[in-house]
Formats: sequence, C-alpha cells, structure tokens
Amino acid sequence: MLLLPALLIVVGFMGYPLLYSVRISFLNYNLMAPNDVRFIGFDNYRKLFTDSEIKYVLLNSIKWVVTVVFFQFILGFILAMLLNKKFFGKKIYQSVVFLPWAVSGFLIGLIFKWVYSEHSGILNFMLLKLGIIDSPISWLGDGKYAMIGPITGMIWYGIPFFGIMILAALQSIPTDIFDSANIDGCSGIQKLFYVIIPFIKPTIIMTLLLRVIWVFNSPDIIYIMTGGGPANASNILSLYVFNQAFYSLDFGYGAAVGILMMALLVLYALVFLTLTRYERSGDF
Amino acid sequence: MGNTKKMLFRAIEFVLRIIFIFCTLFPFYWMLVTSLKNRLEIHAKVPTFWPENITFENYINAFAQTRFDMFIKNSLIVTVISSLIVLVVSVLGGYALARYRFRGKNVILIIFLASQMIPMITAIIPMFILYSKLGLIDRLASLIASYTVSNIPFCLITMSSFFKRIPVSLEEAALIDGCSSFQSVVRIVLPTMLPGIMAVFVFAFTGAWNELFYSIMMISNEGRRTIPAGLMNFVQKYDIDWGQMTAAGFITLIPVTVMFFMVEKYIVAGLTQGAVKE
Repeated sequence: MLLLPALLIVVGFMGYPLLYSVRISFLNYNLMAPNDVRFIGFDNYRKLFTDSEIKYVLLNSIKWVVTVVFFQFILGFILAMLLNKKFFGKKIYQSVVFLPWAVSGFLIGLIFKWVYSEHSGILNFMLLKLGIIDSPISWLGDGKYAMIGPITGMIWYGIPFFGIMILAALQSIPTDIFDSANIDGCSGIQKLFYVIIPFIKPTIIMTLLLRVIWVFNSPDIIYIMTGGGPANASNILSLYVFNQAFYSLDFGYGAAVGILMMALLVLYALVFLTLTRYERSGDF
Repeated sequence: MGNTKKMLFRAIEFVLRIIFIFCTLFPFYWMLVTSLKNRLEIHAKVPTFWPENITFENYINAFAQTRFDMFIKNSLIVTVISSLIVLVVSVLGGYALARYRFRGKNVILIIFLASQMIPMITAIIPMFILYSKLGLIDRLASLIASYTVSNIPFCLITMSSFFKRIPVSLEEAALIDGCSSFQSVVRIVLPTMLPGIMAVFVFAFTGAWNELFYSIMMISNEGRRTIPAGLMNFVQKYDIDWGQMTAAGFITLIPVTVMFFMVEKYIVAGLTQGAVKE
C-alpha cells in the first residue's frame, strides 16, 4: 500500500510516455502542420536509414561516450586511490574534489565555454603564451575541435562519481588480503592488478554500465557549448532527439529517433552484462 | 633503498593530490574572478588572475537586465515542491520495500531500476503532447510533475537501503513500549533516518535545480522560466556578457554547494549503498 503512490507515478508517467512515443513514431506528426496528423506506418523508421546526419551523429555519440567514460574512469580511479589513505585535511579535501557532482550541466557548460572562448578565453591565452599555438584556435566554432571542449567539461563533471563509487569499494577490501599479498612478496603494481582490481570488479562493472548510459543521455554540456554544431560536428543522438522536438518540431521522426536510442541502450546493456558475466566466470 | 622509493611514491601522491584539487577548483575560481571584473578587464589582452578593481556591477546587472529574480523564484518553487513530494513518496515506498515481503516485490524493483535507464529526453515528446492536452504547458506544474517522476526511482531505492540499515529490533522495542506501528516509525525510525532523509532530499533537489531540457521545452513564457532555461537565452547569443553570466552562475551555485557540504557524507553513503549495490 505504501508503495502504491510511487508505483502509480512511475508507471503512469514513464510507462505511458514510452508506449505513447511508440505510437507517435508511426505518425506524421509535425507541429508545423498540426492538422495533418496521420498514420504513416514505418516511414519515420525508413527515414532513419536514409538520414545522412544520423550516421554521423551516431558516430559522434560513440566517440563522446567512449572518451568521456574512459577518462572519467581512469581519473576517478586514481582519485579514489589517493583518497584511500590518511593525510592531513583529508575530510575537507574529499568534500571539495567531490563538489563537481552537485553542479549543473548548464553551469559547467557555461564555465567551460568561457574557458574555451576564442578571443578572451584563458585556454587560448595560456597556449599562446607557452608557444604551443601561434594563433588563437576557435575551439568551439571549428568542426575539427568542437568535441574537445564539451568532452573535457563532461570528464570534469563525472570524475567525482567514479571516485565515490570506487573509493567505497576500496574501503570494503579486507586488510588481511593485503597482508597476505605482502607476505607473498607482491609489488605495488601486482597488488593493483591481482588483488585490488579483481576485488572491486563488480563495482567497476556496475559503475561503468550506469555511467555509459548516463553520459549517452546527457547532452546538456554540448547543448550549451556548441549547440551540437558547427554542422553537427559535436552533435550526439540525445541532443538530436531534442533538436527534432524543439527546433524541427517533427515529433513523429523525433519519437522514432528516441525509440532507436532506447533500442541501442537495451542492446548495449544486454551485451555488456553478458560479456562481463562471461568474463567473471572465466576468471575465478 | 626502500626508503627513497617510499619517499618518491609519497611525492608523486602529493603532486597528484595538488593537481586534482587545482583542476577541481580552477573553473569555480575562474567564474568567481570573472564575475568580479568589469567588462574591459574581462576582455583584456592579458587576463588578470585577480580583478584589479573589484566590482559588483555584474551581480546588479544580472538582476536588472534579466528576470533573474523571477527565475530564482520559479526554480525554488519547482525544486522545493517536487523534492518534498519525492521525499514523502520515497519514505513510504522505501519503508515498504525494506520491511515487508510481498508478492511482486522483485517486479517492482525491476520496474524502478529499468525506469532509471529510460532517457528523460525520449519522453520529452509524449510528455509535451500530454501536458498540452492537460493545459499544463507554460505552467510550473508540468516541471514539478516531470522532476518528481524522474527522481522517484533512485531516491526510493536509496531510501529503502537506508531503512534496511536500521535494525528491526528498534521498532519492536517501541512496539513493546506501547507505541503503535505508525508511532514507532514516526518517533523512532525517522529520527534515526535523518541523514538518509537529508541525502535523498539533496538528490532530488539538485536533480530538479539543475534540469535544463524539460524547462526549455515546456515553458516559453519568460517570466515562468527556471534558472538554467532562463539564462540559456543569454548564453546562446553571439555576444555573451560573460560578467553577467558568471555572476548569475555563481549565485545559482550557492544553494546546491551549501547543501552539498552539509550532507556530503550522507550523499556518498547514499550513492554507494543505494541503487548500485541492490
């Protein structure tokens, strides 16, 4: 009984839109022509295959997810290792380095856009001063570089999350495992690969799974820094859905892209879980 | 030999720690410094790392030239109402999930976990159509509903894991002392749950406070926008007033930062013991 409100709200507001968007994806539903809403079968899905933009955007999404999650994980791991020891001022240090977690994508986009600004941005100034570049680079306006800014912003945003999760896992490792590893004469690196990583593997797998989905679905920073441009150079699938809905007002096609996105996520989750489970049973 | 190696290792750790804290703080610092500079200094050829003349004109302008006061008010209304609803629903549901055995419990758990995987953004089109049928477009109620729904699954699961850590014997003792089961929850369990309750509230609060796309999509009336959507118009212009934007950004940061530092410990506990370990 106590669960009822939660269940009703979640099923009502999540199940319903989900089914409804399947329906919309079979309709010609454009807000520009609100009186011309009609059933068109698989036309929106056929468009997915002929849309030349979408392949490009899909490729960008993969680039975005892989780079962001990779660096978030590596840096988050290092951060967690650093925090797993006692040092002076650790409590306050930990609170500060975890702070980006609470900041909004909007604000991060804003700050990084300012840092990467072509003419008054601090980054170009530093690079010029150090002699690394000769003339200011248009970080956000040049298609070659447009992904770099949002990617660094997103990495910065997500390091704390990985740090928190991995730190908690590290702290759950019983100390006697380390003692026996020491007795066996393990070096630091050996300990890392043969003791620490196997022990916290479940956490790593779960965190990676969740983060990939989350990063795939989070276009805030891109939206603010580049708007997905120039000419889709930094556009990703989730932003593409939003742009279809908000700018093109093509709800039918937008819904179809949304369904594609969901399908990809489900597929990803299944593959990921099968692979990791398979590997786990092989390891132990 | 072993000692020099240890020293070297410590030195590397120390340097890494400095790098991490520097990289974390620099964006905040740069935002604050920019917000305190005048327009000329912001665009100076050689940037200054501390304002030569500290000015608050950007803060004044942020309020004078945008409807920032309205944005703040709207954000507060939406965020506080939706977080409170999330909190009540999560306490009820989390308690049930932690304490009772019933048929279909696993199904419910799976529904909650799966709903976390649904991208909010794919629901934006059907929700827009639904809200326009209900006459909720351009009303804060649409945002309150959306944020409440999107935050419930995670908060509920987290709350139930906080409940699980409270021993049942505590409630039983209260029952023996003559409390009704409702009383035992309200008087005994909830007070000990305070950290968890605060953490869940902060989760819901930051989630709603920071959301951008629903706010852009559902609200077109300038006076009803929340902070991120309201400032969006000023960020997408070609000539951005960086002083004003960083000032507004800094103000936006205050409530979440204060809350974060107050309950950071419990947030960490919530994140690590919540949805993921279930």
